[in-house]
Amino acid sequence: MLGPISEPVLLPGGASKEAWAVDAAGEPLLVRRAGGGVIHRHTLSLRHEFEVLQAAHEAGVKVPRPITYIEDLEGREAFVMERLAGETIGRRIVRGPVPELLPVQMAEELAKIHALAPERLPFLEDATIERLVAELDEVGEPHPAIELGLWWLREQRPPKREPVVVHGDFRVGNLVVDESGLVGVLDWEFAHLDDPARDLAFGFVRAWRFGADDLRLGGIGAVEPYLERYNELTGFDVRPVELDYWELAGNVGWAIGCLTQAQRHLTGQDRSVELAILGRLGAEVEYEICHLLERQGVT
Amino acid sequence: MSERPTPDELAEAIEEFLASEILPTLDDHRLRFRTLVALNALGIVRRELSKLTPVDDAEQRELAARIRAGDVPTGTLARVKAEVAERLLIASPHYLDRYEGE
Repeated sequence: MLGPISEPVLLPGGASKEAWAVDAAGEPLLVRRAGGGVIHRHTLSLRHEFEVLQAAHEAGVKVPRPITYIEDLEGREAFVMERLAGETIGRRIVRGPVPELLPVQMAEELAKIHALAPERLPFLEDATIERLVAELDEVGEPHPAIELGLWWLREQRPPKREPVVVHGDFRVGNLVVDESGLVGVLDWEFAHLDDPARDLAFGFVRAWRFGADDLRLGGIGAVEPYLERYNELTGFDVRPVELDYWELAGNVGWAIGCLTQAQRHLTGQDRSVELAILGRLGAEVEYEICHLLERQGVT
Repeated sequence: MSERPTPDELAEAIEEFLASEILPTLDDHRLRFRTLVALNALGIVRRELSKLTPVDDAEQRELAARIRAGDVPTGTLARVKAEVAERLLIASPHYLDRYEGE
């Protein structure tokens, strides 16, 4: 038994999962429980997400301490983990003051994540461009800007690196940050096997700079010290041109993500004005795709 | 078909939000009344919208299919970018300001 338990409080946000804050014997806990629908076809079940969290925790990655997996919590699966203290709202983190060490700390956590043993997590899948194309085709709307992005990703693919365990959604909005810097990495449901540069560049996507567009690393810093620290720790020697490629891939993924989120509303799976409007706001991401392609010399 | 959600689908989403998420939380008599009036007004908007001719997206479909097939002649990006900018003037008019000076 965990001792006296407080009344659970449902926290705001979380499109596809519920998050409940609860204190057990004075210890702050967070219960992550399945919501109505699924955000994305290729997300992990909560059971698998819990296993990834366990592996990351054992490897010394800064994550909330995993406590227990619950197969049936009033009809849905859930798991319990430590509730870390700190800021998790991306917009507020970017508004600052940004802890000076945050970029380097992000690189350090990524280096640890990319060293996780894939054999330990046999359920993780490989990501492919074809998978993105299939998701776009399922939406069924014509989006020439996204097609151009996909075309460039096929044409310009850098030499393939050995796939590693990637977080899959590594951006400032999924971190817990306090004055001293990075406290924890959250939201592991997109973990899969992929090129390590994919995770490194994912947070560059303009939509996740929360308005601080001049700071390419998630609105909080410059890329150079971050990349340098990562390369120093991993020896992977990731080059800036690879980051350009994966930044574009991140934008293409999110542009398609906006459309699939809107589909959840349109198909009646999860009616919400918040999901509906993403179908239109995806145009912002499409514009960014065009902007990045222009920078690559496409005309 | 025009871009999704269509104007009517957006109005419908707002209607549902007001009716099922906002209205039940309102105790104030005056606010309840005005929310019901707002829902009536949205109903008028939706009936007006239903009379518009749907946008023909055949040209966009053809362009998307050509790019998918790898047929990307010079000028394709410029055309696509201008079309996205046009959509942004409706969906998020201030977004383009973020590119000033870049």
